[in-house]
Amino acid sequence: MIKIVTSSSVPTGSTVALVNLCNRLNAGGYECKLFGPDHWHLDKCKSETLVEFRPEKGDVVVVHNIGLHSASDLQDVTATIERNRSNRWQDVLRRTVRGCFASAQKPDDFTLVLTCQGDGQSARQTNLSIFHKIHCLSDEQQIPHKAKLPVFVYPNLVDDLRKSGSKPAKVAGVVGTIKRENKLELSITQAFQDGMETVIIYGYLADPVYYFNDVKPVVEQHPGKVKFAGFVDDKQKLYDSASDVYCSASKPWSTVRLESALTGTRFHGPDSAGAEPMSNDRIVAAWVEALGLRKAGRP
Amino acid sequence: MKTFEGDFYKLIGLLKSREPFAFNRFSDGELFILQNKELILDAQQVKVGEKVTKGLYKQEDFKHFDPKAHSFHRDRLVDAFRFKAKNYFKGLSCRCCVGDESFRWQLEFHGGDDENFTWANLLVNGNYPRFIREMYPLFNNYKTVVVCNDKADLSMFPFLVKDFRVGYNAMVNDYGLIERMKQWIAGNRIEGHLFLFSASAFSKLAIHQLYEHCSRNTFIDIGTTLNPFMNMRLDRSYLKAFWLGTRNADIHKICIW
Repeated sequence: MIKIVTSSSVPTGSTVALVNLCNRLNAGGYECKLFGPDHWHLDKCKSETLVEFRPEKGDVVVVHNIGLHSASDLQDVTATIERNRSNRWQDVLRRTVRGCFASAQKPDDFTLVLTCQGDGQSARQTNLSIFHKIHCLSDEQQIPHKAKLPVFVYPNLVDDLRKSGSKPAKVAGVVGTIKRENKLELSITQAFQDGMETVIIYGYLADPVYYFNDVKPVVEQHPGKVKFAGFVDDKQKLYDSASDVYCSASKPWSTVRLESALTGTRFHGPDSAGAEPMSNDRIVAAWVEALGLRKAGRP
Repeated sequence: MKTFEGDFYKLIGLLKSREPFAFNRFSDGELFILQNKELILDAQQVKVGEKVTKGLYKQEDFKHFDPKAHSFHRDRLVDAFRFKAKNYFKGLSCRCCVGDESFRWQLEFHGGDDENFTWANLLVNGNYPRFIREMYPLFNNYKTVVVCNDKADLSMFPFLVKDFRVGYNAMVNDYGLIERMKQWIAGNRIEGHLFLFSASAFSKLAIHQLYEHCSRNTFIDIGTTLNPFMNMRLDRSYLKAFWLGTRNADIHKICIW
């Protein structure tokens, strides 16, 4: 079985990507489950909570955003994640010492794969030598010693979206997780400078203090014109509600530009001239090949 | 076993499946009214029965319950508290917040246990981050009606289709609004809508009577949870902790039954 295990399953771009991957692999006849600590993923794909996760012989384990020093850290992955998040000096010291003496031993009885979502920051906190394969979304992700690693580069899958039937006029969607790196305040300001009449904020509220201190003051400059939707599962509904989409952070691996193109929504952002899109079938085929997968029930 | 998190996700499940329900909350203020104690909340004083302390409330939170003058409204609150129906969930003040004695008083006054009892604080304290991040976005799936103070700004809500406003001491002064809302629901064949209430003790009476009138809509007493989006004050500690990052244990508090 393919087991995708992540340290966070709240609805951010990476979780959505892992859910899509899990669903596509299952649809293609490859048995796959997503394990995460939160609730959001549980009704989106074949999934379980993190405490149910155990690597077993013959599994392909795809790890996201879990700092691993050795494959044995996966035996109690909940404890590993808690230790990694802890700022107690004992835990920081233990992490540092284990990092210095980490072995390069790959597991024998299951295949271990790292998927680097986002900017690849999590890869810098893990022992890359224990992985059989490393998945990157883009050549622009910063992964240490990338050239020496067994890396395969393919973008995330994109939802099946269609051109919106009718679009509102001058309604901007500011799309992305609500956190400082995504610079929502710039997107909102830009949207109104471009003549938008309404802005709707779509995204998971990861950092409420950032929202309150940095985004809300900009919202208040445009009374009655900014709406807050939060994270909406139905992407078609999201794109149908907006004539334009704004993103201010550069993320060449983000799927928002492609989704905008699919739905006929004007995209405004630093990555407006990104790489050519790749079909979902081709992306799934790449995973199948990279991981040497066999369909469920076949030897 | 009943858990603070488990009951929260029960409501999430109902919202996702669009199964109508009512979530009514009986917090400490309602507890005092049920106990028929005089209650005054204003800028100068907080009076509960004979006990008077310094006032700290702002105008939109002012309240006066006089057991003699407002017995009719207190009786309606008792009706709301004792009402039983499928998917009519009653949030009680929990023992960890009001103490064992008051908790037991509620159960005795109710006349026994009810499978639909839950926490009055179900959407706040340790569940508040989940409420904002996981429940609020589900409101986008509904045509949503908001019942709130006349000073609230609702322009941030993309899902809003209608609002009803209340003023000072709404349980008493705006009681007639319940009948007008019933007429609006019947006259416009309102079904499958979501009604959010942020109207203090008025909410409790309205949610009971409107759910009894038409249980094909969903009614949630959201209290002060959406104040940051309504241009209302963040004077509750759980709000300050979540939105301003102030240190406060409430935001991590998992209430017990």
